[in-house]
This record gives sequence, C-alpha cells and structure tokens, in this order.
Amino acid sequence: MKSLLTLTVVVGLGLASQPGQAQRVLLHAEVAEDTLYAAFGPNRTFFNHVYVGYLPVVGRAAPGAALRYGYSGELMLGLRNKFQLSEPLSLGLDLRFVRRTYALAQNARKLLPTPVVHYRESIALSEWQGEGFVRLNVGARGNVIGRYLDLTGWGGWVMSTAHRVEDRPTAGPRKVQINERGLPYLRRWTYGVGARLGTGRYAAVARYRFSDTFRPAYQGQYPELPRWTVGVELGWL
Amino acid sequence: MSCVIVEDRIYVGVDVSFALPYVFPNFYLLLSLLYSVFRFQIVWLWLLSMAGPVAWAHQPPPTRRYWVELCDKSGVEFKPAAYFHPAAQARRQRQHLPAFDFTDLPVPPAYVGQVQAHADTILLVSRWFNAVACRATATQAAALARLPAVRCITELPAPALQPAASRPSAPIPDKAIISPVDRQLARQQTRTLGADDFRRAGLDGRGLRIAIFDVGFNGADQHPAFRELFAQRKVVASYDFVRHTPNVFHGGTHGLEVLSCLAGRLPDGTLLGLAPGADYLLARTERMHREVYAEELDWLAAVEWADRNGADIINSSLGYTARRYFPEQMNGRVSLVARAAELAARKGILVVNAAGNDGDNEDWRTVGTPADADSVLAVGGVSPETGLHLDFSAYGPTADRRLKPNVAAFGTVLAAAPGGYTRIDGTSFAAPLVAGFAACAWQQQRSLPVMALFRQIEASATLYPYYDYAHGYGMPQAQVLLHAGPPAQSQKPTVHFEVQDSVVMVIIRPEATRPLVAGALPLYADSVAATQAGMPAQVAPLGQEEARPPASDTSEQPLAPEPAAGRLPAASYLYWHVADARGVLRRYEVLEVSQRVILRIPRRTLHPGDVVRVFYQGTTHSYPSR
Repeated sequence: MKSLLTLTVVVGLGLASQPGQAQRVLLHAEVAEDTLYAAFGPNRTFFNHVYVGYLPVVGRAAPGAALRYGYSGELMLGLRNKFQLSEPLSLGLDLRFVRRTYALAQNARKLLPTPVVHYRESIALSEWQGEGFVRLNVGARGNVIGRYLDLTGWGGWVMSTAHRVEDRPTAGPRKVQINERGLPYLRRWTYGVGARLGTGRYAAVARYRFSDTFRPAYQGQYPELPRWTVGVELGWL
Repeated sequence: MSCVIVEDRIYVGVDVSFALPYVFPNFYLLLSLLYSVFRFQIVWLWLLSMAGPVAWAHQPPPTRRYWVELCDKSGVEFKPAAYFHPAAQARRQRQHLPAFDFTDLPVPPAYVGQVQAHADTILLVSRWFNAVACRATATQAAALARLPAVRCITELPAPALQPAASRPSAPIPDKAIISPVDRQLARQQTRTLGADDFRRAGLDGRGLRIAIFDVGFNGADQHPAFRELFAQRKVVASYDFVRHTPNVFHGGTHGLEVLSCLAGRLPDGTLLGLAPGADYLLARTERMHREVYAEELDWLAAVEWADRNGADIINSSLGYTARRYFPEQMNGRVSLVARAAELAARKGILVVNAAGNDGDNEDWRTVGTPADADSVLAVGGVSPETGLHLDFSAYGPTADRRLKPNVAAFGTVLAAAPGGYTRIDGTSFAAPLVAGFAACAWQQQRSLPVMALFRQIEASATLYPYYDYAHGYGMPQAQVLLHAGPPAQSQKPTVHFEVQDSVVMVIIRPEATRPLVAGALPLYADSVAATQAGMPAQVAPLGQEEARPPASDTSEQPLAPEPAAGRLPAASYLYWHVADARGVLRRYEVLEVSQRVILRIPRRTLHPGDVVRVFYQGTTHSYPSR
C-alpha cells in the first residue's frame, strides 16, 4: 500500500488499463489508500501483543508449608487482546501459559507433602490460563498504550504437576534428584481476581487466587499455600 | 521502604534495619518483597516513576496538568509600546495590523491569582489563549471549574515518556575536513533555491528577525560557522523555556545544525543558508529523546516570546506525532501548537515548519503538528541527487485534505556540527533553507502581508501551479519570486492530450524533448533498471536527526557535474495527478520520461469533475482544459 517511492519498471505495452506504460515510475500514490486509518494499534479499536511476567508469591505461609520467598512465583508468557470501547474504557482477554513454583522451605515443622527434610524441594504447576479484564485508561494520548488500571478475573487449567526433590547425600552420589509427576493432591482448576497498574509496556500486577491449592480430600492434611502473587509484566508491543 | 513524591514521580529507597525481625513478625515476607524489588530494580523504578496516580495515605494526592481557559480580560491595562519590542510594533505597522488585539492583552492578574490559589503549580500563563496551564489535584481541578472566571478546564495529555534512544558509540569522525562532494552539496542546497539571484539582488535577510525553536544549540556560540553571526551580534535574544534561563547553548546539537542552514558558513565563506544577515532569536523548547507534553506548552510560551520580541519568521524544525495524536487529528485544529501557529500568522509572523520525517513510517506517514496548520508553511525534503521526494519526508494531505507539504527543499544537507561540518538528513534542515528564502523575499518586499508572502513563496516554486502531496509546489525559486513570474520559455506547451474512446493519452511534444534530455525521445521505448544510490537510511524523528556515518573515503567519490540552479534530474521528470472538483488529489505520479507517449489514462478511472494535470518542463497542462 505504501510503496510510494517505488523505483519499479513497468514493462509491457499490453497493459492498456494501466497508466504510464513503459515508463519508469519514480513515485506513485493512491491518496485514498494511503490515508486509510488503521483499526489496529495500541490506542485503536483492537490491539494484541505478547507479554512476559514474573510474579513472586507473597503472603504469610501457614505452619508446615513454609516457602522460600523469591524462589516461589509465577513465570508466564501470554497473548493480550484488547478491544477498545472508548478512549478511557477497554475490554480485554488474555491467554497465557503460567509456570507456578512453590519452593518449599526445609524445616522441622514441614508437612508438605511429607515431613521429610531434603536439601531442596519444590512443587511446580504448569497451567493454561484465560483472563478477562476491564481497562481504565487515564488521560488523552496518541496511539500509545498510556497509563491504565486493569481489573481482572482469571481461571485456569493445570496441565501438569510435579514434585521435585533434591538431596545431597554425604556418601555415594553428590546429588540425588527425584521428580514425581501427576500429583493427586493438587486441584486441576484454578481461578481468582487481580489488578494491573501499567504504563506503556510495563505493568505492576497483583493477583489473588480464590481456588484452593489442594483437593478437598487433602485439605485437612496440608495447609493452604499463599494466595497472593505480586510482580511485573513486560509487554512486547 | 521509603517513598518520596517529587513532581508526580515516586522515588523508592530501601532502608534495611537489623531490628526488623524483632518488630516485624513477617520479616521474611518483607525480605522476599525486597528481594523482588532488587531483582527487578530497574523495571520497578521505571514503573513507579511513571505511576503518578498511586495514592499513598500519608502523601499529598497526585496532581495532573490542566489547561484552564478564562472567561474574559476585563479591567486589564496594556501598553503595547512598553510590552512589544520596537521590531514587533514595526511588523504590525508594516502589515497594517492593529497595534495589539485582544489576544495580546495580559491575563487578568486577579484571575491568575485565583487559579494559583486553587492549584498546585502554575506552569504557563498564555495571553494568546487567555489561559493558564497548571498542575492540580482532582479536587483542586473541580474547585477551579467552579470559579466564575473559569470558562472551561481540560486535562492535558499525560506525559508520554520515550526511553532515551541510544547514541551510536562510534568514534566521532574528523568533521573539520570537508570533501569536494560535501562542498558541492553545500553550494547546491542554497543554489537550487536561487542563492545566486538573492546575492545579486543584495538580499541576505538583513532587517528580518528569525526565531528558531529547537532542542538546543550546543556549541553554536563557539562554532566557526557562526563566527561572523556572533561577532556582529546577530543573535539578539535567547531563552531556554525548559530550564527558564537565557542560555540555550546546551541540550542538543540539533539547533546548531538548523541554525547553520540559515546563517552558517564554511571556512571558505560558502553560505549554508540564505539569511546570514538576519537577526536571530533562539529558543529551546524541546527535550532531546523525550516526548513530554510540556514541550507544547514551551512551544506556546516561545511563540508568544517571539512575537513580543519582534520575530518576523519562526523556524520550527519540530513536530509532534504518534505519542500524542492520531493521523486523523492532523487538521490544524486539534493541537495547541497548531492553534498557536495560526495565531502567530494572524499577528504577521510567518511560521515555517518541517513537514516531518515519518514518510516511511507506515503507522503515521503524514505531517506532524504544527505543520498541519493551514497558515504554517510546511516544508518537505527532496533528494539533492535527483530533486525527487525523499522516502522519509512526510506526505500530505492533512486529515481534512488540505495540501501539505506546501513547498520542498533539500532534505539532505551539509550542516555545521560539533567539531566541523556534517552531511545530515531530515526535513528539519529543509525548513530553515526555506525560512532563509522567505527572509530574503520579505526583505525585498518588506510591506508584504504574511499570507501574501506565503502565497508568493508557493507560487515561486518549481512545480507551481501543479502540486502533489509529496513535493507540495516544489522548491521555491528566487528567480521567479524576484521577477514575479517564471522564465518565459518555460510557459510553452510541452505536452498535449489525445482523447480516444477509452483512454486519454498524454504525448510529449517533439520540441519539448531537447533542452533537458539528451537526444530526442522515441515515441515508445523500453524502460531501464532503477538505482537508489545515495538514498539516506532510516531517519530519526524531527529534532533527533543524526549525522550520516562518514563514507569510507568521500574524497574519492566521483564528483558529479554541478547542475545549473533548478536543473536537477527532477526538472526533466513528468509529474501528473488526478484531482477531484475540490482540488483534492486522488492519485499522483512522477515518471522518468523515456518516450513521447508518456501516459494512457483509462477514462473509466476518471470521475465527473476530475481534472488531470500534467507538469513537464515548467508548464502545467490540464485535461479537461480550464
């Protein structure tokens, strides 16, 4: 559409319907085509982009399920779709893959998933999530994301679960690793709410999980894990 | 963690205390939070610095920028002789304008006081718009809106910050050495506009005041290109509207480069611009590598300052585009700077603005603002090799389908740069070339009203009365302007239309093939391959253009024969367009002529009322003829 300065050779006298035959066209413009305004863009009717995020787990851990904070968190990669209703108001739908890890602290009061103390231990969930959001934008702007507040509700399906244990025995091998997959005590479906405060490609995100971590049969046995994650997202615009 | 809000930015620091585990039972939770903060320190700091509206219970509420328009100017006293510089008064007299008008009256101090009492900070008081830009909280804004003196209050767009672009770290070449090719470019950039004719007529902008709004003028006061300018005290005033200081010789080198295209000289005395005799007002209104809305307020403050100090011409090689506006808003009525530029024209100031460097930006492509304003002379860029539109030069029309750019000049120039001289691309440098042209034209006809000068500059251009949205009317020509008309030989018919059943054929007359093209044209011919030698690479936005990387050895480049003024290859191209009944173009093309039957336009593609115009060798032909 925008090949305006096209140094192209238009050869052939048989193209009777095309003006300027057998001439070198140095510049060509169809004004109607060149002044079409896009419907896709950061502040247009529709926009989508990929993003990555890391949200550390925060919040008090119950006795028996202490976590190593900073190592416990959600790493995610997603596609964000935004539909603009008006300049300050948009709706959106995210689809993302989330890798959630709980790094379990090894102490004497440990219960999850067993009281046995290891050198290092974690529970990891791979999850597909969908998230709907309402975006409130602040201030007039051009075709840029601008500053915004998103109010979100999300739900997900846990694709796989894993329990990883690492030991450093004093004798024998230097390192022993055990992976257990398909953990029966973890729920498959998750849901929650969240909020996102962003500007341009950057956003601070807080999410709260309503769903329990463990299936009802195991809830008396295992203390619930922290429900809050707070972190950042980086958009690839 | 401590938090301090300074001018809507929040700076976060961390204070680690060993007593925390004892007084704060969730010490490890806090530690994890701090760990996260440190892990993403840069992102957090950036994020938090942008998160103006975050509410903190123990901090004052966040403020925003508001534009407060006031009802009237009743009761104010104004003495134009005391307020305006004599040059400003003389400009008004020359153009038969009143000594002052309503917009020149000061904003009533009582009103300013009321706004000040209900606002956090006053950013700008604008006489022209009878308005105050201020920073206020939402509560204060509501209170401001209730004031009887306030007509309306509008929130200004949020500052849209751009991360600083990284500068190339390549060693700075020795710019003091000027190659023969660059020296030729320096001569051509003014000669193609008619520098020789102006020189013979003794016109160099003397007696004119030209204001330049730019990013900064680093080192201009020390540069040899301006030795005479400063020795003759031609820079009569300067002001940095960003830092509120008279010193403008910092902030960036873009202003230095632009100034050189008006009044710079090579060491051998070769002029880089057309107005070395003019007086200059230098204003810094722009921040390098940042896009904040305050720049537009600074632009407005600068235009009022320029008016007060008697500026005849404003050269603004700046433009505001996608971070604040949409292309469909480029109609000259939306942005504050476009409206301010229109007001400047009403006060007799010619505003010359670069069209913009977004021609190859598919998301924007059109002119920025204030180049979109009707009374602003928007200048596009053409190639010094061919005289044809440069890819990066922004295209018209405006959103309301007005012609932009109005005229064009070289978009690749030799300009003064720190340490010497450099070849640089951008419409930023085409604008001052035309501003210098305007200064010479106005010097010759000092009593000309500003819009009459505007029209004369357009009418003097190479393509006039033909136009398109890439070149406007083409490059202004001193010869045409000084002698009030193009040379007689260029008015001869050069093509004729032959109407057949289904097509309109445009055929070049045999006698029109000889003066500019080697050999007579055949009736039909095959085409030849195209080359794009010498085309500039991607060009940065206005105000951020950078010098071209040095060629491996420019001294060994073949020196093309220097063409006569106005006789670039483009002089032998054929331009044609189809315009509707309102003059809005549907289609336009530039063709290299290789045969006499140059066009076959299917009649079915023409709508009722459409006009086909063909420009060839100085003459514009129309079908149907009018």
